[in-house]
Amino acid sequence: MSVFNSSTQPTRNYLDFLQAMTEKELKARYKNTLFGFLWILVNPLLQMIVIGFIFRLFIKEPIENYFLYLFAGLLVWNFFSLSLTKATPSIVNERSLIKKANFPRSVIPLSIVLSNFVQLVLAYLLFLIPVIYLGTLSNLWILESIFGFIFLLSFTAGIGLLTSALNVRFRDINFFVQAILILWFYATPIVYSVFVVPRNLIWLWRINPLTSVVQLFQKALSEAPGPGPAMLLTNSIIIIFVIVIGYSIFYKESKNFDDWV
Amino acid sequence: MKKKPKSKIREYKDIAVRLVNVSKRYTIHHEKPTLIEHLIHAKNGEFWALKNIKLEISKGENLCIIGPNGSGKTTLLKIIAGIANPTSGKVKVNGKIVSLIDLEAGFHPELSGIDNIFLNGMLLGMSKSQIKSKINKISNFADIGQFIDAPLFMYSSGMKLRLGFSVAVHANPDILILDENIAVGDQDFQEKSFEKIKEFYQSGKTVISVTHILAFIKRYCKRVIWLEKGKVKEDGMAKQVIDMYERYTRHNY
Repeated sequence: MSVFNSSTQPTRNYLDFLQAMTEKELKARYKNTLFGFLWILVNPLLQMIVIGFIFRLFIKEPIENYFLYLFAGLLVWNFFSLSLTKATPSIVNERSLIKKANFPRSVIPLSIVLSNFVQLVLAYLLFLIPVIYLGTLSNLWILESIFGFIFLLSFTAGIGLLTSALNVRFRDINFFVQAILILWFYATPIVYSVFVVPRNLIWLWRINPLTSVVQLFQKALSEAPGPGPAMLLTNSIIIIFVIVIGYSIFYKESKNFDDWV
Repeated sequence: MKKKPKSKIREYKDIAVRLVNVSKRYTIHHEKPTLIEHLIHAKNGEFWALKNIKLEISKGENLCIIGPNGSGKTTLLKIIAGIANPTSGKVKVNGKIVSLIDLEAGFHPELSGIDNIFLNGMLLGMSKSQIKSKINKISNFADIGQFIDAPLFMYSSGMKLRLGFSVAVHANPDILILDENIAVGDQDFQEKSFEKIKEFYQSGKTVISVTHILAFIKRYCKRVIWLEKGKVKEDGMAKQVIDMYERYTRHNY
């Protein structure tokens, strides 16, 4: 059979397989729940209320449209942290699949990232309703959101490939990811604005690609200032770097997954 | 003492599997490998599961691999199936391989039978359209009837095995790999699956099986490879190798 297939067939099969695995993730996750994907909105909503309330007490001049600002950042953050938390141990968790057949291993972490991405887009669309109602949508919101989504998805996929591959040999990676995520949350301008960061420390935010992502969404949805050109440039270079490293390490390690799971 | 079939020059297209000097080393992990541990004791224990395996399997051959536990049979199958990567040596496989190693793996208990057929089929390298065109055949062969729309956690374990077997044999492999669990399900289904495997033999497909059931080998296999401590001890006609193996095991165990 395979002799007659054109060269595009494997790519198509890969994408079909990725889609089927993503659907499986989503179906399995919300099976037997009453509210289904609404749960992804509840979580950031609760976080927003708690953090918004606390920060109002301590910050003298809160950011304009602070609740919307927070929500935009938290949408991004929840996607990122959930994807990384679930993708990192995914190869080890799916060891029975690894031992069964020789399929492209990258489907496992990527389907987790993609299923979370579907949820992110749904939550984003729902969030547009109050934003439109309050009239804080920026002029270029479509463009800013699309760039934000592309940056976020590619960065998360790159990191997810990297951590899931390394976690097969070094199970420490999973704990390391959990620890680093706590720090990372505060190293990203979600609850505060990047303008409060001292000038001499700004490079720390420049090497964190989530800065641009969060700023793009905050600009699109809450009239906050967007990322500057230097931030966008350094962030995109780092994203490309992470994807290349993540993919090549995953590819190299994936041949030997069976030895370690 | 090694006896090998005289190597004939065969056309590449007639070869299903060719292994050239394949060796596989496993690192013996002591408890949980941690990053620090790895950095401090860079040297771990080693274990050679396969040593310098040379093997050529022609298309249409049905071959059985025998040997005591730990002789490297499963590792050999994994390397042929592309699941494990050899430490050294070359592996050449001509055609699509499907292994019946872990039939239930890849099933999700919350999803329906149909959904699981699609997932499992894709895992084995089938395309979406291939599965669509065979979905009735697969579910009929597995004989799960009205349960096809029910979530898998409602299935009995026999039903799950049957479904797994059915997906695998309908994946249209050129090379079929059977690992010990050749008989699945109840008496009826066992016969059905034997018939199906026989069909593979008869339609000129390559079948590689690992089994301890010598009666099965005598009945179905022409060529037998006897592995011992990661090496090919004997390779030849089924009857001869099995006789030697039986004599050997009587003396040594």
